[in-house]
This record gives sequence, structure tokens and C-alpha cells, in this order.
Amino acid sequence: MAAMTTGYYETGRTWSARIAEHNAALLAQQEMRRRRIRTPEFFLAKNFDNSRLVKAPDPVRMREMRIFGAALTVLFSLVMVYGLQHFYAIESSYHVEQEKQLRDQLREENRQLHLTQAELTQPGRIDSMARQLGLSTPQPGQVIHADARPDSATPAVAQAIAPAPPAQ
Amino acid sequence: MQPAVRTIRNRIHAPRAVPLKRLRFWLICLFFILWAAAISGRLFWLQIVRHQEFVARAEKQQRRTFEVAPRRGILFDRNGHELAMTVQVDSIYADPTAIDDKQTAAHALAAVVHTDPDDDETTEAQIAARLTSGRSFAWIARRVTPAVSAAVKALNLKGVYFDKEFQRFYPDNEIAAQVLGYVGIDDAGLAGLEQRFDAQLHGAPGRMYAAMDARRKVLGSTEREPQPGRNMVLTIDENIQFLAERALDHAMDRTKADNGTVVVQDVHTGQILALAIRPTFNPNQFRHSAPGLLRDHAVSDVYEPGSTFKLVTYSAALDQHVVTPDDILDCHGSVITVAGRVIHDDKGDHFGRISVHDALAHSSNVGAIEVAMKMGPERFYQYIRAFGFGARSGIELPGETRGLLSPLNRWSGSSIASIAMGQEVAVTPIQLSTMVSTIANGGVYLPPHILMPTQPSATDPNQKGAAPQPAPVRPGEEVPDPLPEGAHRVMATLSSAQMRKMMEGVVLFGTGKEAQLNGYSSAGKTGTAQKIDPATHKYSKTMHVASFAGFAPVNNPMIAVAVVIDNPRGNYYGASVSAPVFAEVAQQVLEYLGVPHDTELHAVRAKDKQNAVHEDEDAGSDNAAYAFSTAANELPSDDPLRAAAQQQAMQQAKVPASAAGSVHASPAQPAATGQAVSATPANAAAQPTTRAVMLPDVKRLRVPSLTGLPMRKVIEQAGAAGFEVQMSGTGLCRQQSPDPGTMVPAGTRIQVRCGR
Repeated sequence: MAAMTTGYYETGRTWSARIAEHNAALLAQQEMRRRRIRTPEFFLAKNFDNSRLVKAPDPVRMREMRIFGAALTVLFSLVMVYGLQHFYAIESSYHVEQEKQLRDQLREENRQLHLTQAELTQPGRIDSMARQLGLSTPQPGQVIHADARPDSATPAVAQAIAPAPPAQ
Repeated sequence: MQPAVRTIRNRIHAPRAVPLKRLRFWLICLFFILWAAAISGRLFWLQIVRHQEFVARAEKQQRRTFEVAPRRGILFDRNGHELAMTVQVDSIYADPTAIDDKQTAAHALAAVVHTDPDDDETTEAQIAARLTSGRSFAWIARRVTPAVSAAVKALNLKGVYFDKEFQRFYPDNEIAAQVLGYVGIDDAGLAGLEQRFDAQLHGAPGRMYAAMDARRKVLGSTEREPQPGRNMVLTIDENIQFLAERALDHAMDRTKADNGTVVVQDVHTGQILALAIRPTFNPNQFRHSAPGLLRDHAVSDVYEPGSTFKLVTYSAALDQHVVTPDDILDCHGSVITVAGRVIHDDKGDHFGRISVHDALAHSSNVGAIEVAMKMGPERFYQYIRAFGFGARSGIELPGETRGLLSPLNRWSGSSIASIAMGQEVAVTPIQLSTMVSTIANGGVYLPPHILMPTQPSATDPNQKGAAPQPAPVRPGEEVPDPLPEGAHRVMATLSSAQMRKMMEGVVLFGTGKEAQLNGYSSAGKTGTAQKIDPATHKYSKTMHVASFAGFAPVNNPMIAVAVVIDNPRGNYYGASVSAPVFAEVAQQVLEYLGVPHDTELHAVRAKDKQNAVHEDEDAGSDNAAYAFSTAANELPSDDPLRAAAQQQAMQQAKVPASAAGSVHASPAQPAATGQAVSATPANAAAQPTTRAVMLPDVKRLRVPSLTGLPMRKVIEQAGAAGFEVQMSGTGLCRQQSPDPGTMVPAGTRIQVRCGR
């Protein structure tokens, strides 16, 4: 802190240099305080050699751990499957709703087209368009039905035939 | 000093009851245990104790219940063409709380949606009032056109949304308007069949239970399907209806009458093929229609039939063997006195001794009275009731009246005379046509119907969305055996045959000459009845009802036509006003149905040519367009197809002539040899060169077997075979109609019912 404070107002020295100088000053103060302590302190170093120690095999525990691990794995899988299914079901329900809406939309379009077809095939419209094209109401006997039982429900495709030339 | 040191020593060296490390361990464990217990307890409290409460709150928040409106049933004509159907259209609503500047929004919206000046709901003031009402929902406009909807979407206004609503459309506009009726804003039928069968057509609403997420998107739903309205098939033929309405339009233009009615009926089934009424309205724009236009004159209005009622008189007399067609009646110079009342024939008639058939042909009132008096009131009244007068026919139209017929015990001394010539009795046009049908079909009264008899579908009796199988009118049908409910024999077959001949005489020699057809025999009776003046309560000399009731052809009747024109201006006689309408309608309808000609075709009369030219001019064909189309239809002289067409014409003309028993031989030969109608060179510019128009044999295909196939295969195979498919259900095909192996025209719709 003092170093920081000092460094805040001083320039020309790096941060690490200021830290090192501060640590040296603290160490010198500790040594000064240590000289005033009367109780001698002895520092003993004890080296431990644990290289001879090995972990004893414990097959029972290993088996338990494996079983525990397998159980956790199964549990995790079940949870994941359940979760995946759950969210997949939600996604599927969104998809189903979309398809339902699409189906309804297509059905409605179909009805709209039926309505358009009915409007386009109304007799008054066909009649006026035919007259604009120069067609006229057929004269009596002008239309020949080849079918013995003409079906008025079936659309008819007519073809004009020229009258036969007079007999010579 | 020493006690303190001792205490310190004791404290250092005395063993602890609980080691410090274990105590700390259990303290921390206890802390975690208490924490876990608190969490578990809270979980238990929330998920077990308060489970139902939260489930209810979640359902309330996530689940929505929508009422699904049913779709109104479709009205089809007998050929399966839609006459009335319901589709979804956009309706515009707003959330006023989301709109900042309501006045500006109202102004912008009104500029787009206010397309009808008579619509008060879509004015700017009304929209602004709804937006500032303080509610969170406000209609802007309901059931708008796609163009308006697109324009509002283009405005991209905040707080304005769209919803789908059903709207009823009548694609043929004014055709059969009074028969169909119309539907109001709340999908309720308000006239015609829409009103009469509103419950069946409306259906039942369904419910949709939807789960919605936080963004109000539906993530799952279950539906109780709405029950759509029942589809109905009318006996009306759209094309025959158009022909009848067009002929009636011509008559209304000529006569400037108050109203007119034309009824076309199938004599062998009693089904109404056309019911034309003028003036009329457009059901798509019923708001602009006067209430008087909604009246169905064919069943709701009665009128004195006049001379057309003599058909009942003579039919009854013939069936009772009171007279025969060749018996002589003494008409006393066209004057008769009955119960002190002097009755004359029409001015200018002075009949002495004439035959019964001449009396009918020339519409002698005195002759009809003589015949009725020979019969007596009791028997006459029985026949009147047997023909269906004085009672409702039961036709499926609302507002039917039974007409006016005094009971026998209230007849005065002159009632028999009045009723014999069509006075003192009031009938509806439907009753009149049904009477004529009775005579035409051999004497059997068949109740008139406007709806086809319900037939259980071969696939699904409850199938609502399927288009019906067409039931076109076919020539050569007979009266059904056994007779349907309500039918009964009125007169003997021989009597009806005699009556048909007499009615033919009316058209050939009598007052009904204007009802003669070209290539077909026809029969009928004219009628001209004075109307009661509401001011004086007496017969008016200026207001009349002109009518004609007849059928064609004579020997094998197909259709009966009744024409009633109310208060024509100028010439008011039925012979001049109504008979031509019958001729126009019957001629075109018989040609349309392909009924074989039973008389020789003659050249089109000059008046017919003028009418045809006038019709074409009225249709707006100018010379340039006509010349272009004529040139387009004419093959060049050196075109090889022209020679091939001529050869084909000659071959085709020989084929029907060589067919054994074919009734097309006679019309085919005149067309082939050029004896049929042909335009003169002088009229070539105004009338196209007439050539025979060949309708080739309808291509027929064999219906494939689809049973047991999955839906996809059904569609593929039917499409490859040239058929349409109407599916119901899911899974494999279980039933189909028509049956496999049936020969049907190409493009026929096969109805398939699937099941798992």
C-alpha cells in the first residue's frame, strides 16, 4: 500500500521494482523485530519419503464405485431421454399445430377456388361472354346429340360441322 | 499468578468431551441438513400441498377455450353446382389500448374500409367512437373483401389485427334469389331456403382447447369438431333457371309489368326445375334490397287464375264422362245467366253450338260453365281439391299459402259458374304448374318439391363436405312406382290423354298460338284475369293478370311451364303476354335437355330472327368483334381440315339415322341435308351462318377398384384413370361410389370413405 501510494506520486520506477523494494523493507523490519525476541527459534526440516506408500487395491470399493457409476449413468440417460422426449414432444406439437393450420389454410383455399369456379361458370357470365365473342343461341335442331341420353350435368364440347352439300 | 497458570495448564492438558474437529463438522452438517430440510419442505408445500392450486392457475394461464363456429351448409343445384356457399373472409379489429393516435388511425382506416356509402358502421366517426370507447377490443370492419384486407395490411398500423369469419356467397348473384334467400350478419337465414332450413344449414359449434406458451403461440390443441351444416341439393337446374329468368326479363321489358313468375316443373317427378321471379335482388347485397323484393310470388302470392282454371273444369268433366271432346255445347251466343248473374264470353266472341274441344280452344266462359253445371258442384269441388287447390302443396319454401277456395257449403248459386272460369278462386303459380303437370303425366298428382329427396350416401350418411352426385333431368322418365308420399291419382290415363289433345288444340287452333314451338309439340291454356281494384273492391278494367300454363312435348311430356305476369301494361292478354314466354322457355329448355324433336322443324320465323338479332345487339356485340370471331371460327377454303370436317359431318349424320329406333334420326337428317334452319344471305351480316353443332358421345371410363388401397394410392390411381376423388376419413379405402366397373363420364368425382 505504501509502495502503491509512493508509486502513485513517483515516476521513473516500475511497479515490480516498487514491490520488491517494499518487500525488502518489510523483511528488514521483520529481522529487526526478530532480534528483539528472546525465545530462540529453531527450524528443523524433516523430509518425508512417501514413495513406499502405495494405495492398497480395494476391489469391493471399486466394484461399488463401478456400480454406482453405472447407476448414475443409467439415471442420467433416463433423465436425458425423458428430457429429450419432453422437449421433442413440445417441438412436435408446435409442428403439428403448424401442419393443422396449413391443412386448414389449404382447405379454405380449396373452397375459395370452388367459389371462384362457381362464379366463373355462372350461366349469365358465360352467356354474355359468348355473345361478345359473336356466338348466338343455337337455332332449333342445330345441335345434334350423338348420345341417345344426353346428360345435362356433363360439360359438352361441341364441334361445328358444315352442312352436307346438296345432293347432285 | 499460579491459579491463572494452573487454569491455563488444565485447559491445555484436560481431555475435551467432544473433539473440536468433530463438533465443527456436525455443526456444518446440521446447517446443511436444515437448509436441505427447508428446501424439501418448501418443495413439498408447493408441489404436493398446493398442487391443485398451481395446476389450476397454470391451466387458466395456458389453456384457452375457443368456440369454433360451424360452417354453413352448401346449397347445390341438381347438377352439383354451388348456388350458395360459405368461405372465410377477413374481419378487422383493433386493440384501442395499443393505438396512440386514435383519430389518425380512424381516418386512415375509414378511407380504406368505407367502400359502401350506405354502411354506417365503417364511417370515420363510428370507427373513432369505438376506438375511444375505453374497451380493449373494437371492430373496425367485418367481412371485408380481399382488396380491402390487403389495403389495411399495407397501412401496417399498430394495434390493428385480422380475424377470420365466415361469409355466405351466392356465386350466381340474382339467379334463384327468392328461392335461396339470404343470410344476415349473424349467419342466420332470413328468407327462402336459408330461413326455412336454418337449423339444418347452420350446424353446431365446436370447441378447441388450446395450450398456449408465453408468446401466445398454440403448442397443442384438442378439438371437438364443429358439426358443419347439412348440404342441400335443390331440384333447380342452374341453366334452366337462367333460361327462365332471361325469358322473364324479356317479358318484363316488353310489358313493364309489376312482377312476373315462371315455374318450370318436371311432370314425372313434380320437381321444380326453375322458379323465376321478377323483380329480384342480389343476395350478396341484401342490404340494398327493398323488402318487397324478397317476397316469393310463386308460393306466397295468390291470384285469380282466370281461363287457365278451365283446365280443371274440363279435366273433371272428361274424367267423370260427363262430356267427351267431340260433344256439342250450346253457348247461347256467348251469354249465360246463372243464379241471376249474366256472364259473357270475351268481347268479340259469339259462340253458338261448338264442340267441347273448341270451347276450350277458344276459351269460352259459357262453354266452361255449361260443362261445370253438367258435372255438379260436389264432383267439381272434389276434383278441385284433388288437383291440389285450396291446400298447401308442402313445397319446401317458407310462406306458402294454400290459396283461396271457399268450402262447398259456402258456395253461392253462381259460384260454380265463377269457379269454372277461374274466378272466385285464388291460386299460386306453383299450384297452377302442378295442376298442368298432373294432366301431362297421365293424371297423377305429384307434390312439388324444391329439394331433392334425401339419399343416404353410399360412403358416409353423415358426410357433410362432399359434393353431391349430379342428378340431371333425363328425358323419358316415368312417374315413380310406387307413388311417393302425398301423390295420388286424380284422373284416368285416358282422360288425361284426351285433355292433352284438347290443350294441344288450344295452342294449334285456339288462343295459345304464340305458345307453338319449333320442332316440338306443345299444349296449354291461356288466362287473362281481372284483378280486384283495392279502392272499389270490384274487378278492375285496367289491371289484369296474364297467365299461361302448358307443357311440352304433347305425346311424351317432359316439362310443365306456368307463366304469370302481374299487371302488364298495354296488351294484357295471356295469349300475347305469357304465351310467348312459355314458348321461349320451353323451346330452350327442351333443346338444352336434348329432348328429341317430335314435329318437323321449320325455318326460323322473321320475328324470331329479329328477336335473335335484337338479343345479340343487346348483348353488345359490335360488328368488329363479330367479324373477328366469325373469321376465327371459319376455316379457310383451302384448309385440309375443312374437307375433313365436311366428311365427318356426313358420316356423323348417317350414324344416328341408321341407329335402330333412334329418335335423333329426324333432326339429324334435316341438319345433314340442309333443310334445317339456314340464314338467308341478306341476314348473313346480322346472323351467323347456321351449321349443325355436333355434341359427340360423352367419353366414358370404367371406374377402377380402389378398395383396400391407402389414401395416397387412391389419389394417384384415380387421377391416372381420369377421375376426381372426394375423400373422407383416414386410412385405407373401405367404400367407394360409384362401384368399380361402372361406366361413367370422364372427370366424374369418386367418393371414397377410408377407415383404419
